[in-house]
Amino acid sequence: MSEAADLKARQEAFLRAILDEGAPLPEDWTNRQAAGLAVYRGNYRSALVGALESTFERTARYVGESAFKQASAHHAITHPPAGWTIDEVGIGFDATCAQLFAKNPEVADLAWLEWTMLQVATGPDVEPFGPGAFAEATGGFGDEDWMELRLEFQARSSARIVETNLTILWKALEEASDLDRPDPRLAEPQGCLVWREGERPTFQLLAPDAVTAFTAMQDGAAYGEIVTTFAGSDPEPEQVQDAAMRAGALLGEWLKEGLVVGLKT
Amino acid sequence: MTQHHDPIRPFGGFGLGLRKTHYDDFLAGPGEAGVPVDFAEVISENYMVEGGRQLRVLEQVRERFPVILHGVSMSIGSAGGLDTDHLEKLKRLERRIDPLWVSDHLCWTRTSAHNSHDLLPMPLTEAALSAVCANIDQAQDHLGRAMLFENPSSYLTFPEDDLSEWEFMAEMTRRTGCYLLLDVNNIYVSARNHGFAAEDYLAGLPLERIRQIHLAGHDPATPERDIIIDTHDRKVADGVWDLYAKAIAMLPHPVATMIERDEHIPPIAELLAELDRARGIADEALVPA
Repeated sequence: MSEAADLKARQEAFLRAILDEGAPLPEDWTNRQAAGLAVYRGNYRSALVGALESTFERTARYVGESAFKQASAHHAITHPPAGWTIDEVGIGFDATCAQLFAKNPEVADLAWLEWTMLQVATGPDVEPFGPGAFAEATGGFGDEDWMELRLEFQARSSARIVETNLTILWKALEEASDLDRPDPRLAEPQGCLVWREGERPTFQLLAPDAVTAFTAMQDGAAYGEIVTTFAGSDPEPEQVQDAAMRAGALLGEWLKEGLVVGLKT
Repeated sequence: MTQHHDPIRPFGGFGLGLRKTHYDDFLAGPGEAGVPVDFAEVISENYMVEGGRQLRVLEQVRERFPVILHGVSMSIGSAGGLDTDHLEKLKRLERRIDPLWVSDHLCWTRTSAHNSHDLLPMPLTEAALSAVCANIDQAQDHLGRAMLFENPSSYLTFPEDDLSEWEFMAEMTRRTGCYLLLDVNNIYVSARNHGFAAEDYLAGLPLERIRQIHLAGHDPATPERDIIIDTHDRKVADGVWDLYAKAIAMLPHPVATMIERDEHIPPIAELLAELDRARGIADEALVPA
């Protein structure tokens, strides 16, 4: 083995020993090296747990310190990070919460929201395509152009169906106090849309079909496909009219909120 | 001495690390008391993002102060080479901020599979030195400028070591033309953990290559744990101040000194008081005997 390959193998073994307390230590190590390795193991875990605590402040506040520490330690062990930014340890934490707090879906909803807000906060600074610019760009559109219209949304904006009144829960968890915490469960699932207003991440609860439409268009669907989806199968003309109105209303909202940053050609 | 890039001129100021909790202090408006520092240092990776408030704040701070980019994730000691995505994003930030200089640590943090997000110790061998120097060459060429590398604190040494850390660093600067960021607390911690004299460390370094000093707090050894841990969560210890005084008196030119605090971050006045203590020590060192 070349010296470079040997160094690489030793680094891989060292990191394995940090990640896995059962990994064997090199034969020529003494208690002194084992004690030093214990410090690195402790540093590794506390750094990841600390990063999760800082990203998921509200989730931590909601479930309590002890439960959060257990969940974050479990996540750090099952999802060892690979990327250069420690923030990445938060990837998939909502799924970990869904698994660990299965009877409390609001925990996973809250973790998803905190993660998404963080992603949106550091996304690219792009000027929104406002209603005026949109009107100008689409002024000459015929029916076919409208049906084929595709939108480019703010990078990292995201939406999903939630079972939690995140508006109430988010506000209630603003402060460290756990007094007067409302029951956050919704009677029916709703959609939650996350985006950035200027530099400020924000979110809104809305009808589930609005999330379906947003996600579909974000994935490249045309405006006409949204109208068709809303109209349902074999629609009456009135239903098509209603569907077009519904899609138009959503488009107006997205433009007003600055979610649209361009038209896809 | 290899020197492919413009030399980094000595800069003799006193500064602090920019932390979120102190943003308002650093961005004080006209008529408000500003932060009396000569520079601000930021953790590069915190600002290697696409946009948003954090980046705008940094740009505003840059309008008021010289800024140093100090990285924690370059992993200059990785035998598997550098992460080109990290390097490219660092370059983008460097172009945007035009920093006084760019620094990172003499350590490794990752393999191709995982990242420890900790500053892991290098074996002090010729093979490790070759890997480090090749990576430094790549990083400096990519950034188009010489960098500073900081001595880490460490909690173990390797049986195969055949150099002292100061010999390793001296040879590293000689081969690559890089500069040094001297963390006095880290020397204190490693000296205590590994049983060498901190003064030997200082005496063995190419002092003319030092451009910056870090001062920070550490967690002392306990009856259960005979290892000092570099924590950045408390005041600088007296023993570290004494070592700082020795270091500053040995240096052939002024250097930038800063207080590093990353946990339990106090109001800025407390850090400024520590910075004043550093100023006083440096002033005394400059008074002819």
